[in-house]
Amino acid sequence: MNYDIGQPIKHFLLVLGAIIVILPFYSMMSYSFQSQGEIETGKNSKGEKAGFLGTQEKIVDQFCFKSNTPEKEEVNSLMLKMPGKTEREVYNILLKDVTENCLKKPAYMNYTQAFTKAPLLRYLLNGVIVTASIFLLQVVVALPAAYALAKLRFVGREFIFTLVLLCLLIPIHAVALPLYIMLAKLGLTNSYAALIIPWTISVFGIFLMRQFFMTVPDDYIDAGRMDGMSEFSIIWRVMLPTAVPALLAFAIFSVVAHWNDYFWPRVVITGDPDLFTPPLGMRVFKQDTEGDLHGPMMAVAVTIVTPLIVAFLIAQKRFIEGITFSGMK
Amino acid sequence: MNSRIAHYWFVSPALVLMLLIFGIPIAIAIFLSFTDYSLGNKTFEFVGFENYFKIFTRSSYEKMWGATLRYVIVVVPLTVGLGLGAALLINSITRFSEIYKTIYFLPVMATLMAMAIVWQVMLHPTAGSINRLLSSGCEIDYIYNLFTLSFVGQEASESWYGSICNGNMPNWLGDKKYAIWVVCFVGVWQGFGFNMVLYLAGLTSVSRELYMAAEMDGAKSGWERFKLVTWPALGPTTVFVVTISFIKAFQVFDIVEAFYGFGSAGPSKSAYVMMFAIFEKGIKQNLIGVGAAISVIFLILVLSITLIQRFLVERKVHYS
Repeated sequence: MNYDIGQPIKHFLLVLGAIIVILPFYSMMSYSFQSQGEIETGKNSKGEKAGFLGTQEKIVDQFCFKSNTPEKEEVNSLMLKMPGKTEREVYNILLKDVTENCLKKPAYMNYTQAFTKAPLLRYLLNGVIVTASIFLLQVVVALPAAYALAKLRFVGREFIFTLVLLCLLIPIHAVALPLYIMLAKLGLTNSYAALIIPWTISVFGIFLMRQFFMTVPDDYIDAGRMDGMSEFSIIWRVMLPTAVPALLAFAIFSVVAHWNDYFWPRVVITGDPDLFTPPLGMRVFKQDTEGDLHGPMMAVAVTIVTPLIVAFLIAQKRFIEGITFSGMK
Repeated sequence: MNSRIAHYWFVSPALVLMLLIFGIPIAIAIFLSFTDYSLGNKTFEFVGFENYFKIFTRSSYEKMWGATLRYVIVVVPLTVGLGLGAALLINSITRFSEIYKTIYFLPVMATLMAMAIVWQVMLHPTAGSINRLLSSGCEIDYIYNLFTLSFVGQEASESWYGSICNGNMPNWLGDKKYAIWVVCFVGVWQGFGFNMVLYLAGLTSVSRELYMAAEMDGAKSGWERFKLVTWPALGPTTVFVVTISFIKAFQVFDIVEAFYGFGSAGPSKSAYVMMFAIFEKGIKQNLIGVGAAISVIFLILVLSITLIQRFLVERKVHYS
């Protein structure tokens, strides 16, 4: 291969871009390990550079401290054991104890606060419930429809396919308001149903699976029919197994979109933290802490972002395929 | 016999849902956009085109158009341009291309709400790392001279960077001079990797022979080959990438909510984008007529962009 003078320049540009792209990921992780002071100044208490992991000097966890400040009874009961000391002195002894018990490494503190200041586990669980339900329902609705549109002959087939193509053009944001009104009229806002129902139909999924089924040879289906299978079991026992690669790509597309979606949960969930999805929980966490607890807030961000990023790093090719599937239209 | 009925059973759930989730809501939105309906009110009146009229004349909606158009006009060309640029660079290097691809795709996967909040922390006027970086450059002479343009004879203290070095740190999110552009920046940061992947897919279909033919025809420089072969061959990809970027740009919402949200749309509403307006008017203030009208306008915009795309595709795609 000839030496290409352009190569170093190209790498220089690409590295420059990569730094800007990675910067917030780096900061997010780094901040999630650091104390508020380190985040704000980039330096530790001795004035040295804090570094990626921070210096992990123990600091007093203010929440731990506040909730454990000595009560009157504790002071009184200890005074009985320590005759000769004044109330003030005993109080200070107890306070010192509490302070010592509440000394924590910033990394540990940030992550424990992330999980205790807000029901973060609940948010994650909601995220899993919502994304999994959406995907499963999408498949249950889309697969039979796609099969019928691809392989069965009936009156109105072309018309229905045209409808699918038409709906493909409509972004859900355009119908968000009327959908919200319909759900409100049914008393369904603030429920899992509200989070899931509008996404149960993926016209894109129908379109994608239909295109895929078109390529499946009719012999497979005929063989199934010869064996006395019903059309219904042909879908699930013949077509589904052939469609696994396409289905996987669609799963990635669907899961990524709905795990990260913020707009729709924001519209239909008002105030019930038990129903918050991770992005909504993140936004509310920021609001509740008035954006001041940067360390714990970044710990929440890391927790929400990590599952998909790790999955992506493990199966990059499939992810890029799945996400850009919409490019195949 | 049975299978005949089964055919309709298979499509009916999809059909019913399409009607419930797309058909009826669109009809409702169009209908309500001509009324002054509010949730909870028993009656409503037809107001004709008044809601639409407001959206195109009132000053509060002028802000909406200002913010939305600024965002779209900046973000679409930049995400498309950077996506294409990154794809061309990655396609032409001999090593590490997979690593760059992975890195540039990361923001597409990451929860935008979380990442926008990270950017906000980094852009904090006093405690943020970006301003810290900017001010640390003040002490290095050549950086100071370069950025204040004093090396071409500009008065250093009057320049933008000079005033930063004098202690006027930019308040990136709180100053209406910057707010919408920062929102744009995060939009570009998040979006161009997606376009890059689409362009990379498009590039694999450009045949080697075309390049050789171009070279024989005298297209020696890389730029000439790009003009003659790559760019025309990427035509269909570009049409698609531009369309999808437009539609996504009109939907921007998360970044504004992350930065301001819960009631505000930035300093002097300078980041009052369309989705935020639908949300604020339609859901928070219960002015459903107006919210519906904005929704309808949004739908018309998206549909017309798609129609233009279809038109271009019909005309241009076939030459390859």
